[in-house]
Amino acid sequence: MSGVALETRVGSLLLRNPVLAASGTFGYGLDLVDLCPPEALGGVVTKGLSPRPRAGNPTPRIVETPAGMLNSIGLQNIGVEAFCRDVLPELRRRGALVVVNVFGETEEEYAQVVGRLEQEEGIAAYELNVSCPNVAKGGMEFGHDPRLLGELVRGLATASHRPIWVKLSPNAPDPLAVAEAALAFGAQALSLVNTFRALAIDPCKRRPVLATGFGGLSGPAIKPLALRLVWELHRAFPQAPLVGIGGIMTGEDAVEFLLAGASAVQVGTATFRNPRACLEVLEGLVAFCQREGVREVRELVGGLAWP
Amino acid sequence: MGERLDRPVTLARRQELSPTCFALELATEEPIHAQPGQFAMVGLVGGYDPLLRRPFSVAGVRQEGGRFLVELLVKEVGKTTSLLRRLPVGSSLRLLAPLGEGFHLERCGPRPVLVAGGIGLPPVLFAAQVLACRGVAFDFFFGAATQEELLLRERLAALTTGELVLCTDDGSFGEPGFVTEALRRRGEQGYSRLFACGPTPMLRAVARLARSLGLPAELSLEEPMACGVGVCLGCVVRLADGSYVPSCKQGPVFPVEALGEGW
Repeated sequence: MSGVALETRVGSLLLRNPVLAASGTFGYGLDLVDLCPPEALGGVVTKGLSPRPRAGNPTPRIVETPAGMLNSIGLQNIGVEAFCRDVLPELRRRGALVVVNVFGETEEEYAQVVGRLEQEEGIAAYELNVSCPNVAKGGMEFGHDPRLLGELVRGLATASHRPIWVKLSPNAPDPLAVAEAALAFGAQALSLVNTFRALAIDPCKRRPVLATGFGGLSGPAIKPLALRLVWELHRAFPQAPLVGIGGIMTGEDAVEFLLAGASAVQVGTATFRNPRACLEVLEGLVAFCQREGVREVRELVGGLAWP
Repeated sequence: MGERLDRPVTLARRQELSPTCFALELATEEPIHAQPGQFAMVGLVGGYDPLLRRPFSVAGVRQEGGRFLVELLVKEVGKTTSLLRRLPVGSSLRLLAPLGEGFHLERCGPRPVLVAGGIGLPPVLFAAQVLACRGVAFDFFFGAATQEELLLRERLAALTTGELVLCTDDGSFGEPGFVTEALRRRGEQGYSRLFACGPTPMLRAVARLARSLGLPAELSLEEPMACGVGVCLGCVVRLADGSYVPSCKQGPVFPVEALGEGW
């Protein structure tokens, strides 16, 4: 085949390759099967699921900015029950590796979602969304407070038999303290970063472009910021499995995150530009390894030579 | 509906239509089965600014020699449209199409009416071409700000099997005033179904008029869109039941009765 060993490990989880689709950019995993089959990827991370369906935020919800975009979707989702009933069986049948992104407004709501998912087969891990900048309650408030997050993770880790990943907010005042709490209380891996809270202004209307005022910035514009955080976390917690996210558009971008210490990556906004982006990042990663004589993708992880 | 495909296309032709608008024809080797009201996501090749593709309603599809040409009508409003206006003929672009739910022309009944405003023309023009091919008689109302922006008048005249009503906001051509007022004046003509696209305020007025006349209507809406394939949930439209649905999947064409508050 490619002659490059693509398998990678995130905690106890073995992935067939290191490229996953990021939450909120790939639907529930089945929306793009004709263009980007989920089973070809290292995994898919679902849109954040809450105990009940959520309508999401008013419009406008998105705006493009230089080399990036702002969104304020507000976690519109079909709810955990509809996911288990209508989506998961087909993901299982296809053999996709499924990471379910879990969201709640309260600790109890996170527990409800995980509790429901525990009854189902065919889920590899949970990714806790404690970093959404676009909802009034839940999300980022957990992700900014090491004590709150520690309690949340401890409760869920006890109640679940699956690995828990925590998706970190880059907006936290002290991301290292948040990461430390998550790891100390049972998170098996950290995925980073979620979007940066940001603002776009319509100068003629003298108003924010988005209906909610702030939104979350994603895309190539945030890649250097995300890489910095991944590297800082890797340096602080060299044993902690990290999943790198932030503006990954190409195979080389993915390589950079692996070098900074990520064991796997998630491709997000790139899918909006190109629905085959996850596959093309994977192809680019393979091509890079072939060109550079890298036999195992795993040997790239944390391989950054710091000056 | 045809299967969506992401394909490379070549800019085969560009024609200036007005001080702000132009037509593009994009050539592809593979057939493309778009229906009126469906759209395409068009991407420039290379570079991250602009980052995302832009949605354009398909204005028509035709075969020329061994290739297929997709026609788009574009108004220069921002970075991507400005680049498209200057892009050399022969350049490569990405085209993800056909997308979305188009007009249900099969439900047009004996006497449909088509309504377009400004750069909302493309899907309505496409609908007119299909109805004309099928031998269905229809009236066509088209309004624009000025005479210059009243695009493709001769083509519309040749195509329209019933009455063609042209309006300008400034009165420089045709009937003065909004297209919705011209439609209201002829509202009692017993139309069977209305198909419309245009600026949102115009479409709201069309929705109100259609409701008051008891006329079934389908509107092609415009929302800011990132992905075009239903995964970003940016382009949602609020329905009568309070839910938000992506206009790139359930739309961009919606029946008036499905639309919620404000419509």
